[in-house]
Amino acid sequence: MPVDQHSDPFEDQLTAALHEAGGAFGSPGGALVAAGRARGLRLRLRRRAAVAGGAAGLALVGVGGALLTPWNGASTAKPSSLAAGGSAAPKAYSADDVVRTLRKLLPQGKFTPSDARGTGGDLPPLAAGAFDDGKGAGSLSVGLERIRSDAAREVNPSAAVLPCPEKGAQSPFDSCVTELLPDRSAITVYQGYEYPDRREDTKAWGADLVTPAGHHVSVMEWNAAAEKGKPVTRPEPPLTVARLKALAAASDWRRIIDAMPGEGKQGPLSSSPGSAGSPARPGEMTGRLILRKLSLLLPKGLERVTHASQETGYACFVVDDGKGAGLVQVNVQPGMSGSADELYGSGAETLPDGTRVATEKGPGEKGGEGVVMWTVDTLRKDGLRVVISAFNAAAQDGAATRAKPVLTIGQLRTIALSPRWRSAQD
Amino acid sequence: MRQSAHADEYAEFAAARSGHLYRSACLLTAGDTHLAEDLVQETLGRLYLRWGRVSRVDNPAGYAQTVLTRTFLAHQRRRSSRERAVAAFPDVADRAGADMSLRLTLLQALGRLPAKDRAVVVLRYWEDRSVEETASAMNASSAAVRTRCSRALGRLRELLGEDMSEYARP
Repeated sequence: MPVDQHSDPFEDQLTAALHEAGGAFGSPGGALVAAGRARGLRLRLRRRAAVAGGAAGLALVGVGGALLTPWNGASTAKPSSLAAGGSAAPKAYSADDVVRTLRKLLPQGKFTPSDARGTGGDLPPLAAGAFDDGKGAGSLSVGLERIRSDAAREVNPSAAVLPCPEKGAQSPFDSCVTELLPDRSAITVYQGYEYPDRREDTKAWGADLVTPAGHHVSVMEWNAAAEKGKPVTRPEPPLTVARLKALAAASDWRRIIDAMPGEGKQGPLSSSPGSAGSPARPGEMTGRLILRKLSLLLPKGLERVTHASQETGYACFVVDDGKGAGLVQVNVQPGMSGSADELYGSGAETLPDGTRVATEKGPGEKGGEGVVMWTVDTLRKDGLRVVISAFNAAAQDGAATRAKPVLTIGQLRTIALSPRWRSAQD
Repeated sequence: MRQSAHADEYAEFAAARSGHLYRSACLLTAGDTHLAEDLVQETLGRLYLRWGRVSRVDNPAGYAQTVLTRTFLAHQRRRSSRERAVAAFPDVADRAGADMSLRLTLLQALGRLPAKDRAVVVLRYWEDRSVEETASAMNASSAAVRTRCSRALGRLRELLGEDMSEYARP
């Protein structure tokens, strides 16, 4: 490591004193390393949860970037009869194609991708990275998805697009406008903040567009090189509201969405392992399959407000028992036997069949006011881990809507231990 | 399998570096060993999460130190928005030794520096990083690091005296 030569004797003494003092702290031992790894495993879960937890916030309070579909009770149980984009056989688009398209549509500047997906994978197409127009880099992402409708031949864009908060309601945005475009697409353009409590000045702006054919384009941008954890680089994100609108409305995105393999083309149960669109790792479940299982396991009589399931290994519902909405999320991970001791300490229970069960009631992890998170974390002998959490809020970063989560620990436990999770089918 | 080779590589790295990270964290926290452990756990957790990428950088050890510094600064930001930091030095007084006086005095002096100034001192004089490297680890400009550094040295001079040799062992 390069060293600046100190010219000052005090600096040399300070260096020696720091080494003396630091060295005296000894070694933390292996437990710290194991705890660090366990925290990594939990972070991985949390990161997934954050993606969809933010999405739950999107539908209800309008913060976030992922797609969350209104629950109609049937959309995940049956393949769609409507494949958006008609019958022409569209080509496939690679992740590079999606990035190239974004670069073409951006104003002059440099786009450095950090994540990109094409139409061939299990997750919807995406281009994300940093865009610098010469006045400071801003994080930017474009997500593409298709909204299906079973009953109607067309999607109602106004109902499906990200809703702005009602007039007079407390709004997390400086501005939020929904309008209809000449082609009957609906677009919402909003200007808000990354942190609802504004603890940092990071602004998050976005445009959300839905066409009658079910194309959904979601553009988000920030005035920092990353959504979180990077300093603000400029007063406002790089694209103006007009640019955001034009970018979301570009017809290029619709062609890419048309090339996404639809459920109808893959046949029913397309998301079960082994078939087209199956997850990358053996034993992993698609979000859709998890959602279907969860919907069968949830107690009857709960209103299902919204759901999200785009992530492999993760799905969530926002449910309401009439006393307020609450988020319920499930992570399913195969092959976790090796982490048993790190994740399930001495407080965990071991069932007669060897399944480990840990229960936790704690505060939410994303800072929503008064939010509590109840979790039942289970690991079967074969390494299948099912973790279910319920919150007393509709989004982790939103405020609590009720005193306790919608489901009790007992109900969470019953769901997590259901034999249904072992099956590759519903 | 690629997955398990990665896991082994991570485990080896974590075992080799955790001691140094912990000692750095103890200095950053001015002797709060509980917080230091927590920061190291968080750092190792983050490294675990991104190990695929971390293992390919030129200097994973340096990267780990950067993650630790940023984790510490993020923690300080969160804490300062809610509560005043309490200058407590747990686990120091009970391990008295010949160098006790130096350690305690130095840790107390570090504890009186603002968190960012302390991070600059630790990176510059414990990690032997250049001003530019320190700036990059802290997401700051070199000029800001120089300013902080000279302010921190001035304050430490006041607190420790011009000649530290009276504390240091021969």
